[in-house]
Amino acid sequence: MPSPRFPIPQGTLDMLILQILALEPAHGYGVAQRLEQISRSVVQVNQGSLYPALHRLQQKGWLRAEWKQSETGREAKFYSLTPSGRRQLAVEKDSWARLCGAVNLIFEEGSR
Amino acid sequence: MIQLFNWFRRGSLERGLDRELQYHFERRVADLTAAGISEPEARRRVSGELGLTQVREEVRDVWLTRWFRDFFYDLRFSARSFLRSPGFTATTLLSLALGIGATTAIYSLVDQVILHALPVREPERLVLVDWNGDDPITYATGSFNLMPYPICRELQQQTRFLDGVLCRAEIEVNLTAGGDPRPVAAEIVSGSYFPVLGVGPALGRVIEPQDDAAPGAGPVVVLSYDFWQAQFGGAADIVGRKVLIGNHPMTVVGVAAAGFRGVDIGAVPAFWMPTSMCADANLDEDDLLNSPTRWLQILARLRSDVTLAQAQTGLQPWFKAWLQDSTLRPGFPRISADHRREYLATTLELTSAPQGHSVLRRNLAQPLWLLFAATGVLLGLACMNVAGLFLARGSARGREIGTRLALGASRGRIGRQLLADSLLLAVAGGVLGAAVALLAIRGLIAFLPHDLAANALSGALSLRLLTFAFFASVAAGLVSGLAPALHASGGSLVSSLRERAGTGFGGVRLRKCIVTLQVSFSLILLVVAALFLRTLTGLLAKGPGFDTSNLLSFAIAPTQNAYSDADASRLVRRLDEQLRTLPVASSSAAARFAFLTGGAWSNKVTIQTDRRTVSDGIINFNAVSPGFFSTLGVRVFAGRDFDKSDTLPVGEIGPRCAIVNQAFVKRYLAGRDPLGVLIARGGSSDVKPNSRIVGVVADMSYRGVRDNSEQVFFPLFAHDDTGATFYIKVRGAPEQAIPSIRRLVRQDDPRLPILWFRTLDDQVNRSLNTERLLAALSGSFGALALLLSLVGLYGVMSFVVTRRTREIGIRLALGATGASAIRLVLRDAVAMIAAGMAIALPCVAALGRLVQSQLFGVTATDPATVAAAALVLAAGALAAAFIPAWRASNVSPTDALRLE
Repeated sequence: MPSPRFPIPQGTLDMLILQILALEPAHGYGVAQRLEQISRSVVQVNQGSLYPALHRLQQKGWLRAEWKQSETGREAKFYSLTPSGRRQLAVEKDSWARLCGAVNLIFEEGSR
Repeated sequence: MIQLFNWFRRGSLERGLDRELQYHFERRVADLTAAGISEPEARRRVSGELGLTQVREEVRDVWLTRWFRDFFYDLRFSARSFLRSPGFTATTLLSLALGIGATTAIYSLVDQVILHALPVREPERLVLVDWNGDDPITYATGSFNLMPYPICRELQQQTRFLDGVLCRAEIEVNLTAGGDPRPVAAEIVSGSYFPVLGVGPALGRVIEPQDDAAPGAGPVVVLSYDFWQAQFGGAADIVGRKVLIGNHPMTVVGVAAAGFRGVDIGAVPAFWMPTSMCADANLDEDDLLNSPTRWLQILARLRSDVTLAQAQTGLQPWFKAWLQDSTLRPGFPRISADHRREYLATTLELTSAPQGHSVLRRNLAQPLWLLFAATGVLLGLACMNVAGLFLARGSARGREIGTRLALGASRGRIGRQLLADSLLLAVAGGVLGAAVALLAIRGLIAFLPHDLAANALSGALSLRLLTFAFFASVAAGLVSGLAPALHASGGSLVSSLRERAGTGFGGVRLRKCIVTLQVSFSLILLVVAALFLRTLTGLLAKGPGFDTSNLLSFAIAPTQNAYSDADASRLVRRLDEQLRTLPVASSSAAARFAFLTGGAWSNKVTIQTDRRTVSDGIINFNAVSPGFFSTLGVRVFAGRDFDKSDTLPVGEIGPRCAIVNQAFVKRYLAGRDPLGVLIARGGSSDVKPNSRIVGVVADMSYRGVRDNSEQVFFPLFAHDDTGATFYIKVRGAPEQAIPSIRRLVRQDDPRLPILWFRTLDDQVNRSLNTERLLAALSGSFGALALLLSLVGLYGVMSFVVTRRTREIGIRLALGATGASAIRLVLRDAVAMIAAGMAIALPCVAALGRLVQSQLFGVTATDPATVAAAALVLAAGALAAAFIPAWRASNVSPTDALRLE
């Protein structure tokens, strides 16, 4: 069965993770589930690439992590946004919007 | 740098990641089984989704970044391979450690003596003001940059160029603060000294301009922080305490900021006092404000908008006017017109002085740079040798590297591995080197000249020094690793796999040349070291010409404590008398000047026999008390020692007598009876020879152990003797006699300090300091160079043997014996050693002339010394070459051929 979902564009995973964690802190599995839900199963995230991304963001100081009780009662590593992560999210949203605008402009130009 | 931190906590990071992934895995499995998928199937699917191994690797790359991780694995691999070949590791480590250690030690001195700026405000704007040219008053040559005090005062008005002017001089005074009086070094400074330097107090206040406003204005002292700590235990109530400088009461008004040790690294003052009090420091300045005597150094601070050249040019008109003016002052000597012109043509010279002023720096700068260059060369040789050893090892590992290349390792990766090898080794060598440096610096500082004013050199490893050692190590690592790394990554893959014991001898010839040069270099150094060692042992064996056992000496300088000349003379006589009656003293005597301290009282001598002659050289004099020669165990060959009859009452001058030594008789009175001959000090025509020679004594050393000059002795108590050194032959250990002698002096005058107490054995040792320094330096350099050249020889021979393994194997298979294989390899080595010696010997002959004046009892080309050095070198070199040769003889023909 060919998947109707397309792979996530390069470089946008970080932004999506930041956006998800901006709503509330979550553990890795939670982020994966949320990603699927939010993107209504349109975007396909390779589960394996989630963890390197989380660790990269943490190392950059945009995320902080702590071990807490999860909803199942077991300890899980919860990630949350730091203030600098919040700023970074704003920057990325802004540049994403400008990129989309620019691409749309080109498309409209071509279709005219 | 977070990567470095991550490396050290990678264990806990891994555990965290495991738990995190485990959680994900199980939640996912649980979700899937809840959706009705069987558990084994769920597990299989999740494994596929996650790709656990892949995830772990990628997360690790995030933690450490790829190259960083590889680098650490390389280091670990290198460390393991080094532990497997301890011989190789020890050799390379040792040569790098010695090279880095020596360089770091010398750099420490270069840094402290030459480079380090004073810890004051904006040291880069400080200039030394010097008088360029001779002046006719004192004929001071300017070697100590001395200036008269009035110039300093007037320079302070030149505010267009200068932001302040200070003057200072180093003095020695007797300080009494509570306990016994003792001599200390101090700095006498203008009131502008502390403000211009920008140094504040740690306690109380510093010396201020009003302390120096007029002669006698400020009877105050400011202690140095170190002296306050050491002598007063950092007492908080020090401010306001009274101390005695000589006999003059002064008040401690403060303690200078910690870390400030004056402007001369070679002479650290215990305290500072204002120039207004120079009379109290027994400086003969009757008229401080007008005296033309040059006795201070002047430092000034340039204005921030003026360059050095501008200031120098701008100040000349003022200086010209000052010179003109000074000739009109009372007290200016009458001089010829020529002299006057010369005087008026002298100029003022400014030199940048961010490091302050130091005689030590002037004396040491050149030798230090030379030594630094020499150690740099040694370090370079060490690197080259290590590179050689690596090449030898690298070619043995050729197959391993070839295989790795074939399996897909990039050349850069292999090169990096080899660089990691050498870097690891160099940094380990650097750590060892720092330890070597620590010992070496302490040794070097101990050898430097030091008198009362200790130098501020520190033997500790500072951060600067460690940084230097680190960079030296990394540079050494890169230099020694670069050649092997390029070699390994540059060769063709096919040839390196095909090549068994190939023919690629690239660079071997060059390396043989370098090793040959090293051999000659180390032979030269060995010969020099042997010469200095023989000089030292020769001087020690010769001794000073008198019996030093149980002999103790101490000195006093009563005029420094405001004694009149007559009173000083009375004191010396009194002490001499009392010392003889001390139970611990078996005999005792006094001399006007101390022996073996480098200095002497000297002049020409006029001799009256049947005709009048003047000695063609300078004769050394001393005045000694009766019994001096017997106390020191110096034989009286003819005539008599001085006795009571030669002693005159204080202040009286009467008939004189003298005792001469054998050298004097041999040179000036050969063939005649010296007794009864009249002599006198001085060689000018108005000298009247009126001292009758009454005795002849054996030769003894005066200035130093080497010195066996012509000497004339006069009776001590026939003049006003203002100071003396006492020589006491004690019963039992000299150290035990010190307290009772000290008590005796204190009973007479509790304020009079004893300048020094020394056994004569110690004095002999001190006087041989230069010889010992030369022997130690040349010895350690020689040993270092020898070791390095042996390592170099070993490295190049090992390389050759590895390269020729196959050839040797074939020879052995065809019936050659092991001995012939050894001969084959040694022939190469012997050629290098012989060539090295052939180069070295003419150099030794040429250099010999340079060091001849430093030698004693041995000529620079002494055949036995040269032969011994050559023998040591040859033996060591052959031993170093024999190891690879032995390996060659043990090549198993079948193994060597099976490699095909």
